[in-house]
Formats: sequence, structure tokens, C-alpha cells
Amino acid sequence: MEFGYIIRRLLSAVPTVLLVTFMVFLAIHLVPGDVVDIMLGTQNYLTQDQIEELYREYGLDKPLIVQYGIWVKNLFTFNLGTSLRTGKSVTELLGERFPVTLELAVFSLFFALVIGIPLGIISAVKRNSFIDNVVRVIGLIGLSSPSFWVGAILIVLFSGVFENFNLFGYVSMSSNLIDNLQVMLLPSLTLGLMVSAQILRMTRTSMLDILTQDYVRTARAKGVNSRNLIMKHVLKNALIPVVTLSGIQLGYLLGGTIVIENMFALPGMGRLLLQVVNERDYPVVQGIVLFIGVLIVLLNILVDILYTVIDPRVELR
Amino acid sequence: MKRFFQILVLALLAVTLLAGSPGKLVMAIETEPVGLDPTLVTAFASHRVLENVYDGLLRYDESMNLVPNLAESFEVVDPYTILFKLRDGVKFHSGDPLTSEDVIFTFERLMNPDTKAPAATYYKEVSSIKVVDGNKIEFKLTIPMAASLLPNFAGVNSSILSKKFVESGANLQLSANGTGPFELADYVAGNYITLKRNTEYFIEGLPYLDEIKMMIMPEEVTRVSALRNGDVDLARINEPLSLNQLPTDRFKIHRNAVLSYYLLGINTTRGPLSNPKVRNALNYAINREMIVKLVAFDEGAVTGPLNPELEFWAMKPSQFSEYTYNPAKARELLTEAGYPNGFEFEIVASQRYSFDKVAQVIQAQLAEVGVRAKINLVEWGIFISKWRESDFDSFISLNSGSIDPDIQFNRTFHTGGSTNVFLYSNPEVDALLDRGRSEADINERQKIYNQLQKILVTESPIIFLYSANTLFATNNSVEGFRSLANESLIFLRETSKK
Repeated sequence: MEFGYIIRRLLSAVPTVLLVTFMVFLAIHLVPGDVVDIMLGTQNYLTQDQIEELYREYGLDKPLIVQYGIWVKNLFTFNLGTSLRTGKSVTELLGERFPVTLELAVFSLFFALVIGIPLGIISAVKRNSFIDNVVRVIGLIGLSSPSFWVGAILIVLFSGVFENFNLFGYVSMSSNLIDNLQVMLLPSLTLGLMVSAQILRMTRTSMLDILTQDYVRTARAKGVNSRNLIMKHVLKNALIPVVTLSGIQLGYLLGGTIVIENMFALPGMGRLLLQVVNERDYPVVQGIVLFIGVLIVLLNILVDILYTVIDPRVELR
Repeated sequence: MKRFFQILVLALLAVTLLAGSPGKLVMAIETEPVGLDPTLVTAFASHRVLENVYDGLLRYDESMNLVPNLAESFEVVDPYTILFKLRDGVKFHSGDPLTSEDVIFTFERLMNPDTKAPAATYYKEVSSIKVVDGNKIEFKLTIPMAASLLPNFAGVNSSILSKKFVESGANLQLSANGTGPFELADYVAGNYITLKRNTEYFIEGLPYLDEIKMMIMPEEVTRVSALRNGDVDLARINEPLSLNQLPTDRFKIHRNAVLSYYLLGINTTRGPLSNPKVRNALNYAINREMIVKLVAFDEGAVTGPLNPELEFWAMKPSQFSEYTYNPAKARELLTEAGYPNGFEFEIVASQRYSFDKVAQVIQAQLAEVGVRAKINLVEWGIFISKWRESDFDSFISLNSGSIDPDIQFNRTFHTGGSTNVFLYSNPEVDALLDRGRSEADINERQKIYNQLQKILVTESPIIFLYSANTLFATNNSVEGFRSLANESLIFLRETSKK
């Protein structure tokens, strides 16, 4: 049954993803300034004939809808096209850049959960106490501080302190694990802190909700000790919305780490997206948007499956 | 005991690695190259990498004089003829020797319309290129402009390629094979570029460094912090305020006056600004020194139509009364032109290179004489599209200057010039430009360009503002680093690390 469910979900996602790519396709083509304009910049060295030839070479002389049709047709052969600026294939570019973004997203979520869940639990259990208030203020600060600001503060704080610590200059995990972890620390912490605020609040609210339910009172009356009650009976149920939120946040992290990747000079997908949008490198923009779309759909399905693991009463239909 | 020694060796090795190797320089660059084909690239960032990998027939020395490079010597035989004698014993990184065939191939490829090379416009008056006496290459021109063509041979776009390499089908946008002091060893897009020492470089003893790693770090805060943290040895600084974070006992600051200049470009066919008198009023109303102070924190200098660094050609800004801040005179001119209460116009700007800040200061200064400037802040692609279509009242931008006035002025101010987006047209200017290009006597040329500078200031299709210094910071281990007035980094070959 789950298998059938997954297939149905995947199929129903196809039009959504296509619609997203179509909208992005239209948007990027309708913005003034195309790839040839930006390539020539403020130098203007080609004749009108040469410029028209460039448009033909890039297939940009055809009507927009035809261009989109060709792109979709190529999708069926898993051909995402090549970059207009460097001639590299889009698949190759994604292969190079995605692992960085994935690593950043996973580490950030790790920090978010490690910080957010325990603080959320403490805050809920010690409701309205001094600790609760402190944690809630921390959460509020986390929610309202923009990531570029937190990132800049962390960079300035850390750069003078640990001189032997490799803070900048991305190294892949396979080439040097220690250097890789050092470089990833600050960006993951920056994003992790932001997301942890939301996890914290969600954990707290959800815990408070469960704590007032009848079965909790019954359990207490039966003499289940506090620690067992929270960890076994309350937390497990309270985590369901947190899992949903984490899934959504992971999707956000995978698609939206542009600012942080730029700031920490990480060669990830977000930074590539910013660059190719600026250059109007259409096939790469399209490829990345499609990729992010598919990822988010897959993530949502994964979250649904996780529900059934946490709460066996949930059935996927 | 054996184990003790093993540990000792490992520990020593670790310490050496941590201290950084003396032959390796790590530098933080702001933007990534867009393509690596020297004939095609226009991006500034590509030029900075390629000028260390490829060589041209000529190059600049430290005082911006043209000197031989792959050419052992060069001669302007007559105003229609340039003769280069090719250096012997030069090898490409692949090991193949450089021949006159490679030179001819390079320029034929460059001038072929199918290549769509930006430098093709500069060479459009070349009628023939041929080999003479085995190792001499002769360029024949259709108009007498040999002297003003020469600087182009030092540009990255005129780098000499290996015929064999190109014909083998190599993708020059992704791979490189030059004769320069460094070889392209590794390019991880979005992350770094590694250049390795060319052990067979034709100048013995150079380069000093074994390796240069260029880390791509788009954010200033990251570059400065990486420098402070010891992750990089050398970094480009864009915001003069960042210098406060770099104490002088640990870091050296390299500042250099450059040829590129900020400008307020004007559409000379639209509204009140089509009147030269109105444009001239803006000249008087703008306080250029104040812009240098407020935007560049005094890291720059006011410039006229030609950069004061070009001592032979340029008239000093102080020689133009228009460049002295005089709001009363501005109001007087506006009244004469029929705008006693000022007028409204738009300044298009993007957020690159502080264009927005320059626009804001100008907006405030013009308000004092009653001129209301509206700033239209746009994304770079939109900016370019507006620029190309002359769809603006005015805009703030940064133009690269040039060693020879012809290169800068002809394309910018000649009627129909390739970058004359100001739609400026003045038959007198056109005639002077044509004469300046073909005049062989340098003193006569100087007179022509002096006259042009005066006309350009009074007519002001462009309001020239200032040139900002380029700033680089290095830690104390770096020696011999310098950049040139055209922002070139070819002296990385003479840079070393303690």
C-alpha cells in the first residue's frame, strides 16, 4: 500500500513541478537583460549580425513557448542542457554543487534539532518559570535575526579567535574530513540557530498541548515517574509536528541557502543559482529549479512515511 | 624508539603544514572567471587569471610602458606597418614550442567574425598578417594607426594560443595552454583556481611562487576575516572601511591609482539634458572631492576625461573651471538655459561598485541647485539592458580607462561608436577623433587630444567623476606584490612568500 501511495504522490507531483519550472522559465525570460546582453556587458563589440547569430546558436530566436517545449522534451531523455556561459553540462554542475548544499542542510538541521528540541522540552516542562522566559526570549531573537547578520557576527567573532582553525576555503569531505568539518561549522551553526528557534517553539507548543491531555494525567496518577512520562509518553507524540516542520525546513535549507553560501564562500547550489540568475544562464537556472522542486516533493513523501514510523496509528492512503 | 621517531616526524610535518608552505600563496578574489578563452573573455575576473597563464606579444612594465614580451622586439616601420620579432625558445605548457604559425593562427581566429571576439573591433583595420624572415611577423594596416594599435597587443584578448591545442578540439573556455609563468592546474567552479609554476617559463628564475591558490570569496567580510584568520595571504579590498580591521603591524596595504573611472553618463537626446548648457551646469553643481570623501573615504582621486595617471595625455581636473564646485555658476547656467527652478531627471544605478552611493551623493548635491534627481536602482542585467538600448536619462557606471586615448575616446564619443550609448554626435569631435587615430607624430596627437578633452568637458555627454584606488591587503609574509594602473596582476610572477 505504501508503495502505491508513493507512486501516486510522485505522479501527482509532476504537474506541480512542471508548473513551477514554467513559471520560473517565464519569469527569467521576461526580466529585461538576456544572456547575450550580459555577456556583452558595457562593451558592445559585436555587430548586429553576430548578435543575431548568437541568439540562433543559443536557440533564443524561437518563441518562448517553443523554447520551453524543447526543454521539456529533452527532460524525457534526462538531458538538462548545457550552460550557455561555460559549456558545462547542467547535470555535471548539479553533481558538483549539490553535495555541498546537502551537507550544509543536514548539518544545519542537526544543529537546529540538537539545540531546539531540548530547549523546547525544558521550556514546556518548566512552563512560565524564569528558564521558560529566557528560552522564549532566545527563540524570539533567533526568529527575528536575519541569517546574513548572524553569519557576519559569527565570522567576525571567530576569525580573530581560532587562528589555526580552518574557517574559510571549502574542502570536500572526501579530500579532508577535519578541514571539511571546520569549514562547515560556522555556516551550519548560522543556519542551525535560525531554524532551531522555530523547532524550539514548535516543540514547546506541541509538548504543552500533549501535557494537558487526559492520558498524561492518568499516567501521572498511576505513578509513572516524570522523566519516563516526558521521554516515553509525551515526547513521542509531541514530535509529529516537529518532524513535519523539520521536513519543511530541510526543503527550505536545500533550496534557500543562497545568502549563507555566498557569505561563507561555499561552492554550493544556492550560490550557483544566484550566479546563473545574474548571468541569465537559462538552462542552468531551469535545471536547478527543477532539481529543487523534485527534491521538495521527495522530502514531503519521506516525511509522510516517517509519520507512520513515529505513530503507527497513521496510515498512508 | 622507532615509533618515537615516527611520531616526531609526523608532528614536525603537521607543524610545517599548519605554518603554510613558503612557495604557496593563497589569495581571496571577489568574482569568479566567466570562461577561460583569452580571445573571448570580457569578464574582469577572467582577465586576472589568464594574464598569468597566457602571454601576449607585448606587455606593460610597472610604469605602464609597453615592453616586448613574446615578441623579443617590435618596430613601427611606418604608420601602416608593425613588425614583431618573435622570441626563440618559448614553450607552451604542453611542451610544444611557440612558432610564428601560432601567432598568425591566434590573430586569424580573433579576427574571424565567427569567433565573435571582443577585440576584433580593434583589429578591424588590419589588412594582412604575414611571416617575414622566418621569425618576424608583419601587421599591415589600412589606415595609418600603427602607434595607437600597439597597446592592444598587450591585452589579455590578444594572448597567443597554441594552434595545435586549439585544433585538437580543446574547449578553451574550460582548459588552458599558454606560455605564461603559471599553468592552470585546477579549477573547481565556485571554490578555487590553482595555478602552478611553469618550470619552463622563458624568463629564467621566474616565477618565484610554486603555487597560487585563488579562493573565490564574494563577500568582503569573508575576505577580510579570512585574511585575519590566516586562511589567505592576500585579499582584494573593496570597502576602504575594511582597512580598519587590518592592523598595520600585521598587514600591508597596497593601494594603487587606476585608470578606470566613475562617471555620470547622460543621454544627450532626452529632455533638458539634451542641452549642453544644462549638462555643463551639472558639472558645476557636482562636488567631486566630496564624492571621493564620502563614497571612497578618500581612497581615490578626481579625474577629467583622461585619467591624471596618464601624465602625458591627460589635462588635470584643475585645468577645467567646470570641475571646481560652484553652485552659483550652476544656477546661472540653468537660468540661461531656461530652467531657473531646476528640473527632474532619472539616474539609473545598480548596487555594484557603490554606484548607488555615488548616485545618492549626486542627488543631494544637485538638490542644492534645484535639480531633482530620482534614483532608479536596478539589477545588473536590467542595467545593462537599459544601457544597451540608451533607455535612460542618465546612469552611474564605472568605465575601464585605456593607456591610449584613442581606444577610450573613439568607441565612446565618435558618432555611432560602439559604446556611444549617450547618442552623442558632434562633427568636430568626430573629425578630431579621426585625426588623432591616424596622426603619427606624438606631439601633434597630444594637441589633438587636448582639444578633445576641452570640448568633452564643456559638452559633457559624460560627467567624469573620480577614480577609486584599488586596494589589496597582504599579511607580512608576502613580498613583492603590486598591481598596475590597469588593475592587472601580472606581477604575481615577481611575488614571493617568506
